[in-house]
Amino acid sequence: MPTDDVEPEAQPATSTEDAPNVFRTDDGAQDGLAKCARCGATEISLNVATGNLRCGFCRFEWATDNAIEAFNLNGDISKLSGILVGSGSSDIVPSTEEILTFKCSACGAEVVIDTNNSTQARCHWCRNTLSMNQQVPNGAVPDMILPFTVEKSTAVEKIASFVGKRKFFAHPKFRAEFNAENVMGVYLPYMVVDINAHARMTGEGEHQTRSYTVKVGDKQEQRYDADLFNVVREFDIQVNDLTVESSSDRLDQNTSQNSNNIINTIMPFDVENSVRYDSNYLAGFTSERRDSNLDQLSPIAHTQAEDITRHRVNDSLAFYDRGVRWTAEEVDVRGQRWVSAYLPVWLYSYQQRNSSGKTFLHYVAVNARTGETMGSVPLHQSKLLLVAGVVQLVGTVIGLVLVAVGI
Amino acid sequence: MLTHFAWMTASGQLIAASSSDEGSRGFGLVFLLSGFIFYAAIYLRYRNVDKRHKHESETESAMFNMQETNDFVVSKTGLTNSKIAGANNNVVRGARRKFF
Ligand SMILES: [Zn+2]
Ligand SMILES: [Zn+2]
Repeated sequence: MPTDDVEPEAQPATSTEDAPNVFRTDDGAQDGLAKCARCGATEISLNVATGNLRCGFCRFEWATDNAIEAFNLNGDISKLSGILVGSGSSDIVPSTEEILTFKCSACGAEVVIDTNNSTQARCHWCRNTLSMNQQVPNGAVPDMILPFTVEKSTAVEKIASFVGKRKFFAHPKFRAEFNAENVMGVYLPYMVVDINAHARMTGEGEHQTRSYTVKVGDKQEQRYDADLFNVVREFDIQVNDLTVESSSDRLDQNTSQNSNNIINTIMPFDVENSVRYDSNYLAGFTSERRDSNLDQLSPIAHTQAEDITRHRVNDSLAFYDRGVRWTAEEVDVRGQRWVSAYLPVWLYSYQQRNSSGKTFLHYVAVNARTGETMGSVPLHQSKLLLVAGVVQLVGTVIGLVLVAVGI
Repeated sequence: MLTHFAWMTASGQLIAASSSDEGSRGFGLVFLLSGFIFYAAIYLRYRNVDKRHKHESETESAMFNMQETNDFVVSKTGLTNSKIAGANNNVVRGARRKFF
């Protein structure tokens, strides 16, 4: 395709960011008593070994619908246009109460659920478990949930082994207090985004034709010959299940202030195996509420989609072994689909307190689907400095000798 | 906390300086920096501040209807750099990990 002259395009007056199209993901969801279909008990929790819900009394097991199929999220991304949003992903209404009162449908008592911490509560009078699956606009109920499949014992082993390899320079207080058993299962909130975009990238690329050495003074130096090309790539791109943190706490990944990058590192998750949200999956785990809306998350998601595009187009640039310098990158997002999800993480956290009284939260995190493990271990600074100093001393002596001898 | 970063940045720059140094003298320099290199290596191994999810390569994506233009411009000779100036086809802008 010939490169057209770049003409100043008459942009259609910035199309007033067409309002998102919301599709319901909590249709048929019922709050209150969720009962075992076989015996009627309300003691229901996740069986991590199978990823199914299990009745605590009769051991009956069942699976919730796969979310991708239930919400038809497999639909062709190339057909996406505008903004499509799951109802659990819609904007949080700031005034929404975090405390909801339920009427226990077994005994009629009034029970309070603090949706800030959980979407389940037990009736004080009849001990039945009440749960909330319908979405309140406060981010507490997502569109879908990915059940834990890595057992706690496995997570404990992984964390113990990760830290075990980092004992020597670990802070003595941490070494004394470390106990991998203190790991917690947490569902963290994410947005899962599909993006349909058209990209046009313009720039210059170089292909090496010759590499040789020349003599400069008494030294040999490397020289290269290369062909310069004008390069244009224009294509459609579909991004599937781009995943971004959706709680403002986790979005902040300033490594001098927190270790959230540790939790970020254990992505990706197999989000395609998510099921429709059911708060029974939360029994025995904690969860963090989403507090960020599309407005805040769109810029990050779009920048990351551009990164994916830039990375992807390298497939077609193998000829340019000296690299490409893009001068214009236009990634036009034509359609996007947003779904909010709870994804499972085993989290060991350790609060380090400096002598100055400042605290720093260290994490060791295990992806509860893939087992990927990453962590931050507090350092014993004085010990590390001492050893580094000794290494430096020995290194300096050897280095000076080598330089003197001229090796 | 800042002092560690300053030290690591310094060692990073020094490593970069030494690696661009041709031939034998670099070998001695590595030893002269061994304490800094050791500190940085242990720091990264324990704290993992450099780690992040590689969204640019770990996210599933597909390209369609590719149209390519490759127009020859000029042949260049005697270049001293092994890469094109200002290569940016691998840059990542959406990483939220803030480091250095
Ligand atoms: Zn039962
Ligand atoms: Zn009751």
